[in-house]
Parts: sequence; C-alpha cells; structure tokens
Amino acid sequence: MARKVTYLAGIEGAERELTVEVHDLDADPWPLGAKLKYVGTEVPRLDGVAKVTGVAQFTQDVNLDKMAYAGEVIAPHAHAVVKSIDASAARAMPGVLAVRTSEGKRVTYAGSSVAAVCATSREVLADALAAIRVEYDVQPHAVTVEEALKDEVRVSPRRSNDTAGGRGGAMRRGNPDAALESAEVKVEAEYRTAIQTHSALEPHGSVVSIDKEGNATVWASTQATSGFAGGRLLRALELPRGRVRVITEHMGGGFGAKFGAQSWDVLCAEFAKETGRPVKYLLTRRSEHLVGGNRPDSIQKLTLGGTKDGTFTVLAGETWGTSGNGRGGAGCANFMGYTLPSVRMLQHTVSTFTARGAAFRAPRHPQGFFALEGAIDAFAAKAGLDPLAVRMKNDPHPVRQIQWKIGAERIGWKRNHRKVAGSDKGPVKRGVGCAAGRWSQAGRGNWSVDLTIDSSGHVIVMNGAQDLGTGTRTLLAICVAEELGIPPATIDVRVGDTRYPPGPGSGGSTTAPSLGPAAREAGLRAREALAALLGVEWKTDSEKVTLEDGVFKGPGGKKATFQEACGLIPDEGLRVRGTRRRNYDGYNRETAGCQFAEVAVDTETGVITVERVVAVHDAGRLVNTMASRSQVNGGVIQGISFALYEERQLDENLGDMVNPTFDTYKIMGMADCPQIDVVLTTVVSGFNSIGMMGLGEPATVPTAGAIASAVYNAIGVQVRQLPMTPARVLAALEGRQQ
Amino acid sequence: MKAFAYIRPQSAEAAAAALADNDGALIKANGIDLLDRMKERVDEPNALVGLVDVEAFDSIEVEEDGGIRIGAGATLAQLAASQVVERFLPSLAYAAGHAASPQLRTRATVGGNLGQHTRCGYYRHKSFPCLKRGGDHCPVLKPGGVQDTAAIFGNGTCASASPSSLAPVFGSLDAVLTVRRGEATREVPFAEAWAEPKAGWASDLVFDREDLIESVHIPARAEPQRLGYEEVRQKAAFDWPLTACGVRLVAEGNTVKEARVWLGSVAPTPLRSEAAEKVLVGKSFTEARARAAGEAAVTGASPLPGNTYKVQLTKVVVRRALMQAWGRS
Ligand SMILES: Cc1cc2nc3c(=O)[nH]c(=O)nc-3n(C[C@H](O)[C@H](O)[C@H](O)COP(=O)(O)OP(=O)(O)OC[C@H]3O[C@@H](n4cnc5c(N)ncnc54)[C@H](O)[C@@H]3O)c2cc1C
Repeated sequence: MARKVTYLAGIEGAERELTVEVHDLDADPWPLGAKLKYVGTEVPRLDGVAKVTGVAQFTQDVNLDKMAYAGEVIAPHAHAVVKSIDASAARAMPGVLAVRTSEGKRVTYAGSSVAAVCATSREVLADALAAIRVEYDVQPHAVTVEEALKDEVRVSPRRSNDTAGGRGGAMRRGNPDAALESAEVKVEAEYRTAIQTHSALEPHGSVVSIDKEGNATVWASTQATSGFAGGRLLRALELPRGRVRVITEHMGGGFGAKFGAQSWDVLCAEFAKETGRPVKYLLTRRSEHLVGGNRPDSIQKLTLGGTKDGTFTVLAGETWGTSGNGRGGAGCANFMGYTLPSVRMLQHTVSTFTARGAAFRAPRHPQGFFALEGAIDAFAAKAGLDPLAVRMKNDPHPVRQIQWKIGAERIGWKRNHRKVAGSDKGPVKRGVGCAAGRWSQAGRGNWSVDLTIDSSGHVIVMNGAQDLGTGTRTLLAICVAEELGIPPATIDVRVGDTRYPPGPGSGGSTTAPSLGPAAREAGLRAREALAALLGVEWKTDSEKVTLEDGVFKGPGGKKATFQEACGLIPDEGLRVRGTRRRNYDGYNRETAGCQFAEVAVDTETGVITVERVVAVHDAGRLVNTMASRSQVNGGVIQGISFALYEERQLDENLGDMVNPTFDTYKIMGMADCPQIDVVLTTVVSGFNSIGMMGLGEPATVPTAGAIASAVYNAIGVQVRQLPMTPARVLAALEGRQQ
Repeated sequence: MKAFAYIRPQSAEAAAAALADNDGALIKANGIDLLDRMKERVDEPNALVGLVDVEAFDSIEVEEDGGIRIGAGATLAQLAASQVVERFLPSLAYAAGHAASPQLRTRATVGGNLGQHTRCGYYRHKSFPCLKRGGDHCPVLKPGGVQDTAAIFGNGTCASASPSSLAPVFGSLDAVLTVRRGEATREVPFAEAWAEPKAGWASDLVFDREDLIESVHIPARAEPQRLGYEEVRQKAAFDWPLTACGVRLVAEGNTVKEARVWLGSVAPTPLRSEAAEKVLVGKSFTEARARAAGEAAVTGASPLPGNTYKVQLTKVVVRRALMQAWGRS
C-alpha cells in the first residue's frame, strides 16, 4: 500500500533530501526544481471579472421571492437585567411578521440581543426595531482588564475572572530563574496591544429558505460551509444535516470569526420556520464591531536576557488580556520563533463584560511578536549590537536565515538603519526596522475533490469548501491543470456548496494545503482515465500513453490533443475523485517569514507614515504566485492597520463602544498604504504531494513588530503600545508611555 | 430610517419656501453627513429639501471688486481644482483638497461642510447620552470617557470638536455668509455664525432650520494677503483632522500689520485665537515669533486627561501655518 520516495526538498541554498513513505495512490511529490507549467506561476483569479463587474453573488446579494428580513434590538449596556420590553407598537406595524422579546435576560456585554423582529421589508424592520422600548436594570461592570482585576467579585461574569495559565497559557522550559540571575544583558518592559475587530467588509449572517418538501437551503457568509450547520441550527430547522444545503458562493472576508452558525443564523432559521418565508439577516456594522468577534488585547511584561555577544538565554514574562466573557484566547505568541533555551511564561485571560473574542488571522501572533521583537530591539540596544544581527544570531530557521538577508538587501539595511537611533536632523525622522514571523500549517484532513469531464472536454472540479477571497477556486484549477496539461482558466471550479464533497473550514491557513493535493490527485486520476481510453483506442497498454506539453502520445507516433482524448469519453461522462491522505515527513514544520519597514515619524505631531514594507515570506511550494502576493499584501495592510490605527474604544462607564462605524473606527485606507515589496521564497516543504503550506496568517504576523522597530530606529525611543497613535508617540517622546 | 418627503426645488427662493412650508424639513446638500445621522435616527425629519437642482448653486466667481463668492453647492473637489481658488486662496484649496477622501470630495459641498454635525461618537449613536441631543450631561467629560479627539477649548459642558477643515480657513479669510430665510437674505460674518454648545442644540451653527446658506463671500483686499493652512491627521484619508489652523497675514516689510489665526477641531466650534494674533501684530515676523504665537494659541486650553496631546498639536499647526503663510508672498 505504501512506497518510499526520496526527493530533494527545502530551499535553494538550504536544500536537503527527504525520504518519505507515501500511499500507493498518492502522486509522487514534486522535488525542488521540478519543471512545472502552471503551478508556481502568476494566474489571475478565475472569479476576478465576476467580482469587479458585480456579477459574483455574495450572501447579501441573495434575494428570494417573498423574502423577509430579520434584525435585533441590542443592549447598550455591558451588564444589565432586562426589566421590561414594550414591543406593542412594533407588533402593530403592518408588515411585521414576528417579534420576540427577552424579558428578564441578564445581559453581560453591550451588543447582546434583547429582542428580535422579522418583517416584510428592511424599512419596516428598521422602524419596528426602533419602536421597541426596553427598560434595563443596569448593574456594575468592568470592561477593561485593569478594572476587572481590581474587584473580582463585583465585576466577573464568570465565577473567576482570571483564567491564569489556561489552555497553553503556562509555559516553562530550561532553567529560567538561574538564567535570569546570570544574564549579562537583561531588558524588561511592558508592551500593550489594543482590541482589533475583524471588520470584514461583508457582515456575518445568512439567508435561510425552506422549500415545499421541507429541505432547507442556507446562504451563509461562512469560513466553513461543511461545518456550518451544527446542532443549534439543525435543531431550529428540525432537520438532519443531510437535508440542509449550505451555499457560500463568494465571501467578503472572515478572518477567523465566521465558522459555525451563530445566534443570528439560528434566529433566521427560526423565523423562516415560523413565517414560512425565506429570511435574510446580515448584521449591522455596529453589531459587527460589538459582537462579530475581535482580537483580544494584551498587556505583556517581558524580560529578555542573554550574553554580551547577543545570544539569548532566557525569556520570562506574564501577560493579561481579555477575550470578553470567553474563557480563554487572550494569550500571546511572544516566546516563539527564536531560540530561547529558558522560558517562563504565565498568561492570563481575564473575563470582562464585553462580547467574546474570536480567532483572528494568526491568533496570539501579531501581538506576541510585537512585544517579543520590541524586547529584542531593547536587548540589542543595551548590548550595543545591530538588532538584525542579534535576530539572525538567535534564529534557528534555515529559511528565515535566507530571508533576513534578502529583506536587509531590499530595505537597504546598511544604508538606512540609523546607527544612532533618532539621529536624523529636523522634526521628521526616518528609520528602518525588522521583525520575524512564524506559522505552522501543511494542511490536514482526508478531503476529496471530485472531477468530471464530458466528451466536449468540459472539466468540472468540485469541493464544498468556501473561497474566502483567498483564491481557492483558482488554486484548485491550477493543481488540476498541471496534471491535465490544460490552462487553469479552462477549468470550471465549483466550490462553496455542501452538494459537493465536504471541505475544510478555513482556519489556521489550512484550506490551500488541505485541498491542493486532493485537486492534484483528481487531475492525475483523470489523466490516467483518459490514458486508459486512449490505450483502448490505440490498442496499447495505457501505461505507454504519456502526456507531454498538453498532448497525449502513444507508441508509433500516436498523438491526441486533450480535446481529442475527451472525444472518447462515453455519454455517461468521466468521473474521478482525488483524495488527500495523511501528511508525511517534511522539511521544516514551521513556515518562516520576516518583514522590514521604513517609516517617517513627525516628532512634533506624533504622526507615523509607513513608507515601505519589504515582506519576505514562504509557504512551501507556491501554487499561484499572484494570489500569494495578494495574500501577503493583505497581511501587511492588516498588520499596519493593527499597528497604527485599529482600536475598539469603549466608554468605561457605560461599557458600550464609541466607535462602531467605519468613520469612527480607524482602519487603514488606500491613502495610508505604503509601497509593499513582496518577496516570495519557494520552499519545497514536503508533508504533501505538492509540498505546500498555508500563507494567509503568517503574512500578518511580523508587520506590527517591524513597524514598531522602525519607529524606534527613527526616534530613539520605543512606543510600546498599539496602536501607535500620535498621542502615544508624543508621550513616548516625552518619556511617559500612556 | 423614517420615511420622509423629498423636495427638489430649482432655486434658492423655492428652497426657502419649501423649508417654510414643511415643518421639520431639513436641508440636504449631498447628504454625506445628514443621511448618516438619519440612518442612526439621530435625526428623523419628515421632509428633506434637496439642493441638487438649485441653479448656479455651485458657482465660484470673482466679483468686480475682486471679492470671491463661493456658492454653497460648490464641492470640495471643485475648490481644490479651481484656478481662482488656487491662485487667490491657496489655503482653502489645500484644506479642501486634503479633506475626507477623493470620492467624498466630489460630493461634499461647502454648505454641508459648514453645516456638518460633530463627529463625536457619543453624539452619533443614540445609545449614548449626549448633551447636544438634549441629555443633561456630556459623558465624554467623565473619567473613563473616550476623549482622544474631543475638544481642548470651551469643553466645559460639551466636549465635541468642530469637524470642518474648511472652517478655520474661512475664519482666517473673514468670510461672510449669505443666508436666506424666506424671501430675505442677510449677511452673517463668519465669527457670528457659530453657537456655543447647549442642551438640545445639535448643530454647531447658530442658524435655525429654515436658514439656508447660499454662498460664502471672501471680501476683496487692497493689500497682498499671505495665507496658510496646516492640519494634523492620523490617517491620510477618510478621517477628520485632529487639529487644524488657518491663518492670514498682511505684512509691511518684515512687520506683520494684520493677522488672523483660526483653529479647527479643537473646540465645539471653529475658534479664533486673538491671543496668537496679538503676539504677531506690529512685530517683525520670525520663526521664534511664530512659535510664540503657537504657545499663545493654547493659553486657556482645558485639555481632558485623554487628549492633552492635542495641545502640542495645536502649537505645532499654528506655527507651521504661519511659517507656510509667511513663505508665500
Ligand atoms: C469619512 C469622512 C471623512 C471626512 N473628512 C472630512 C475632513 O477631513 N474635513 C472636512 O471638512 N470634512 C470632512 N468630511 C465631511 C465632508 O467633507 C462633507 O462636507 C460633509 O459630510 C457634508 O456633506 P454634504 O455636503 O453632503 O452635506 P449634507 O450631509 O447634505 O449636510 C450636512 C449638514 O449641513 C446642512 N446643510 C447642507 N447644506 C446647507 C446649506 N446650504 N445651508 C444650510 N445648511 C446646510 C444639512 O442640513 C446638514 O445638517 C468627511 C466626511 C466623511 C464621511
């Protein structure tokens, strides 16, 4: 069943032979240097035209006959009991189909639903929601970590508001106490990051429709079509999973906050059952910011110690953050990437009266690396060493060692890194900085991709997984195209529908490496099937039929184009399935990545302008370099936004969010976008037949750290709190951190 | 939002009549600000009088005496692209060309820009108490309130900051607003157009519902004017300034004969700084003097714990606007 394959893997300059055991049905892994026609090239996304012309249908665009609209009244209090609700005016409105109220409910975060309406139009819905009067008995609350830690009994929505060390939050390695004692160079500082909301352009929500036979179709904005219809939704619909079809044809962003059906989707289903109409509910922008998910904040106290020559020996730290009324999730990846022989880390997730945090593009990482890289910069300064040299000295990753050099060259480190930080003349000072990132994802699951071809040569490739906008459709086409020798654009890819074989949820940068190998195998199986048909036609052994440059060839100069070969397909068509099996051994479990930034800081106003970012990344073998670049651009943009602008601002007395719209919640726009120089290093990573890994998350990990590092180089003091607003930059310059 | 009647008069006279005839009707320029307020139900008018069809409402004209008249319907993009504005009022061209975003500037009008309500998040969301919306206090002022963009002057009862970046420029130009009510028009000096915050008064202007700004007049001047405008914004677009300053200087040799210094985004209304002007008038202009004017501009500032940095920003924009103006002759 299994065979051994030995092949060259890794990156040019640090390649290595891998011997792996692959399943008999698995395709041979492509080695480093394999000549491939489509994989690893620039392929424009297949749905690009549909998207820019408005043809692509997002959940918001689904409009059905007799469709009704649902919405909710949300509490503006962090902690309150609903005393009474007067919905009589709403109930009496023509067009109002159903009203629900939650008298007596204890609200534990602003944005929590206290009443819901289903109506025949958006307009009636809005009027009805506005006409509902709710009276609250407001209770004491704490919405910040510091308040919550002050007075535990008064403020905790849970029995204990501090889940210290929960879920990976405690870590000990080596001999931290002795190492701290003996460290020749030691720096200690506190770093803070703010709560960032997911802010996907497309809000959460769904359209639920139940047909005459009682089967349900749900159009949902989800990162997990196959996993979307879970217990609560199925119970609301009173249907088994097999009778609920979930469709996500196109998606307008998720970033980790859109997996299974949530309360609003369940509400939609309940209203659909109750009213007998299709019901649509997409959250308002205010609810998106309040309850749609967020990246927990952090307070990170770090001590980094090492020797005078710049070798790290120890990292010790304690962190606090809030994931709202959730139990865990506020940890920080501030002890990873570098060689740290001794580590002592304790991380607290503090519960507050705010809505729950959610996985957010590289959970724990951007905030963790911001702090860790800050500590490294401080360490290098104290030791009198070049901060890049210190990083390279302590970096165990062979790929990142190459990437540091590429990045340094591109940013002009020698020229542009100020030997004396803050030494530029005049009020506007420039500097460059750098930071590392990491991730680990080579795909998982035994997903299958189905492929059909008819006698006209029309190829359809199917998997139920959604395309988040990352280019999954195009990726599947490329993997199949490589095996069939036909251009990716000629392949008809169908995704985002549970009618097709189930696919992975898009979390942890899994989708591409989980589905790519299955698609490749589907292509391979189809090629074998075509070869078999030609073998019969040419009266030869199908093994002797080869595919070269898109032309099938057989003994005796026999030739057939792809089209001609497909002409042999019988009426019932050709149908094959490619399956992904377990991962085998690989080159390095971690993807590397590093970024360099060049900034200009106006020291009189505190305004930071990011002028250039060089982002050097790897993700195994890159299937579509154009889509990969786009992923990195997006990661950098989101990272700059996190570093400089984004912050959920809560009024501490009222517990509600003061900036729940895009004119008040500052998020990066085009005018703030620097030149982004993306460098992609191809690494044949092993693990699967393509040797590919995930890229979505690693691309946003180093950005904030790199910008903070550049700011430090420009002005000579660290800004240790994100976002680095003018107020915080000026405070740092004045010697007081806010 | 609540259903409303939409009236589209062809002339300013007809617009004024429509405002008089429809109780509760509000003026709509291009609705960038107004429709947001309506969607949040901060305003629930039963009728809108739209100005899109009003003839020649967007004209920018040089009058016989050299004065410049800007129609209230002129867009910020128009101001930024106008050769007249660029040549005679460069500070206005700059302010207009850097406000909001390229898309917004093609729709944002001069009348709407002056009429826009504060961007204070508390005012904008009905779930918060707000003095401007008739509440008994301003929650921004309490410890724990979000104060970063709030006012640092005149913030005793309400800490909202005036949003317009054109306002400090118009102030520095001694602009005069032509305001119509019914069949009559009147001339209102810019400095008299603004209202101190008071409970239930949402607008920053003194005007009432029926007052229609027809145009903004920049008076002609015999002597050459040196104009400057500086602002600080955290984001390059799709955001309002944190602090802004418009200045106008008249010089005799190296001596400042006349000075106007107006601040934006630091008080509930645009704010003239006579203290800064005093430092300049009758003295020779130097960078040190510009700096001193910046220091003088913040005397009497009453920053909140969350926005002391705006004091520093104000000093800087005043100095920079003056340096810019002086450098232009
Ligand atoms: C994201 C964003 C960023 C922005 N950034 C800036 C910035 O940096 N600087 C800046 O100055 N502005 C900024 N703005 C505001 C923008 O420039 C518009 O000028 C403003 O929103 C008004 O738009 P409008 O012309 O459509 O007026 P409307 O929204 O139609 O009207 C605004 C108000 O003025 C009243 N009004 C309109 N016309 C008249 C009139 N002729 N007479 C009397 N009252 C009138 C209306 O009744 C209403 O109350 C920004 C806006 C947005 C959305």
